[in-house]
Amino acid sequence: MKKEDTVKLISSDGFEFVVDKEAAMVSQTIRNMLTSPGSFAERQHGEVTFPEISTTILEKICQYFYWHLEFASGKDREFPIEPELTLELMMAANYLHT
Amino acid sequence: MNSETELVELCIHAACKNRETVNKWRLQRRSLDRLPSPLADALLRRLITRRLLYPSLLEVFKHSAEEIDVKGDNSVDAEWMAYLGAFRHLRYLNIAECHRITSSSLWPITGMNSLKELDLSRCTKVNDAGINHILSVPNLEKLRISKTSVTANGVMLLASLKNLSLLDLGGLPVDDAALASLQVLKNLQHIELWDSKISNEGAAVLNTFPKLTHLNLDWTSVSKLPNLSSLECLNMSNCTIDSILRDDKAPLTKLIFSGSTFLNEGETLLYANTNFLSFLDLAHTGLDKFFFLSKMKVIEHLNLSSCMMGDDSVEMVACIGGKLKSLNLSGTWISSAGLGILAGHVPNLEILSVSQTSVDDTAFSFISMMPSLKVVDLSNTNIKGFLHQGRTDLDSLSLTALQDLKQLERLNLEHTQVIDEALFPLSRFQELRYLSLKSPSLADISLYHLSSVPKLTKLSIGDAVLTNYALDMFKAPDTLKLMDLRGCWLLTKDAIVSFCRNHPQIEIRHELVTLLPFEENGRHHSSPSRLTSRTMQAARKKEQMSLSPYFVDQRMKYSRDELLALQFLSLPLASSNEIDNSILEKQSD
Repeated sequence: MKKEDTVKLISSDGFEFVVDKEAAMVSQTIRNMLTSPGSFAERQHGEVTFPEISTTILEKICQYFYWHLEFASGKDREFPIEPELTLELMMAANYLHT
Repeated sequence: MNSETELVELCIHAACKNRETVNKWRLQRRSLDRLPSPLADALLRRLITRRLLYPSLLEVFKHSAEEIDVKGDNSVDAEWMAYLGAFRHLRYLNIAECHRITSSSLWPITGMNSLKELDLSRCTKVNDAGINHILSVPNLEKLRISKTSVTANGVMLLASLKNLSLLDLGGLPVDDAALASLQVLKNLQHIELWDSKISNEGAAVLNTFPKLTHLNLDWTSVSKLPNLSSLECLNMSNCTIDSILRDDKAPLTKLIFSGSTFLNEGETLLYANTNFLSFLDLAHTGLDKFFFLSKMKVIEHLNLSSCMMGDDSVEMVACIGGKLKSLNLSGTWISSAGLGILAGHVPNLEILSVSQTSVDDTAFSFISMMPSLKVVDLSNTNIKGFLHQGRTDLDSLSLTALQDLKQLERLNLEHTQVIDEALFPLSRFQELRYLSLKSPSLADISLYHLSSVPKLTKLSIGDAVLTNYALDMFKAPDTLKLMDLRGCWLLTKDAIVSFCRNHPQIEIRHELVTLLPFEENGRHHSSPSRLTSRTMQAARKKEQMSLSPYFVDQRMKYSRDELLALQFLSLPLASSNEIDNSILEKQSD
């Protein structure tokens, strides 16, 4: 994986998730950070830190990115969400606009 | 409001699957308190539609929710209100038709500074005492108390709610004095006074509301209005109209006069400023002159149903047809020739009704020249489905002409003389979703033709001579959700039951089918192994409900599948007897 094609997402407790840029761009918020002109640090280093999102939730978000890419058209496989995670995941999804 | 992103929607779905999933998150206080209000509101809405909300669960939203809509929920009572009173940011509360709400149960909302909008319509146990609680909600802007037990005295008290912009007093005994006492409410923009005791004398003070844009005087004795210079929407249905709208300043956009009598025919409409009018309803007014239409250059919705419009005055409509989206000419004297005058002048017309007219098959060629049509109602006309072609003996299928209408979604041919063969062209209607037919001259072959309409969703084929064999052989389009077969007297119960079994996704309506869910013998029912979690939970809900003194008609609360499934649970409380009892109780209400 070339560095330019990936992006590093960092959770509130410092965990780093390296994901394909294409996947991360499922989030409208991340897409804006990575593509908007101007001197966003995120764009230069390919790193985005989320001080509000825990590791568990960010991991789930990354899973969703890939699920979305794969099943965007058909959606014949369900994306599993544990009921315990729904509130936090909902808020993260709302923030990330995904 | 429904702008949730996809993952948010998936989360809400997962959170509201059943009571167990709710219990998994309801104690996450820290997260709940941080929940942005649009998310909290969306989650609440889903809990309400899934019937998972109960008073103590409400409490977890007290720091986040801004909108609550429990309209028509019979379980909402004083306990719910006690929890709602603690909501710090509640802006909108709709408890309309919650019949257990009483005046005293409104006490907790006193002093709620955040509350801007309150709907208590049809809460019949709310009276003047309830108004006293509402008066201490200082920032209230929109209040609906139609069809409650509030009297004219209670209405007078509302004068202290200075921020009111909308007031719905429909169906209340509001008299002229009560309305006069509300004159201090200078922010009022929208007043509903339908079915009240307002007379011309009371209506004369309406011009003291400088911002009044919406006014509803349906079913009142008002026949005269003062100049209302900011009025945009007026509903004076079922009134006698003498002199109104003489001021040509009011920027009118919507006028409803259905069922009213005009003392000076259409002159009222000639003097009013109708340059911006987009909606005009004159149904059942008996008007026979339409000269006033010529000014209405931007009109989009025109209802002339049961007016005395004939082919000679259709020209008036054609002149202003450029922006027309819907046109109702049902019950008028119009004929096919009249439609010929309209054709070509209504490029944007989407909805056309000429039901109960003398329109016949020659109209199809004209209708096909209205390119945007989505909905066409030709019921109770002289349509036969065949058109005699010149000198040849061959008749052509007249419905073929409608194939040119690429957007046609809905077609009503009930009570026409259409017979089986005439329906053949329908199979090529690419967008047709809703089709209504009703005629004893339709038989099996009709069903055969209809099986190939690609997007058919709802099919109504009443009074037809359909046989069991035809139903058995019917290849239902994949999209079909509902089949209304009422009046098809040849069909037997067994045949319908067997069809339901083979096509579980299709809901059938028929005189024999309503009895099915309550049958003792359920061989055709879905097996218990197919019970979804939702059904299980519906069953639990039922257990709770049966303890409550107020029964809801069980048939309304559960889908047919759920009712079928309930039978298999053989809970002592879920016997079919009780279902019947509750229905009886409902009827005796």
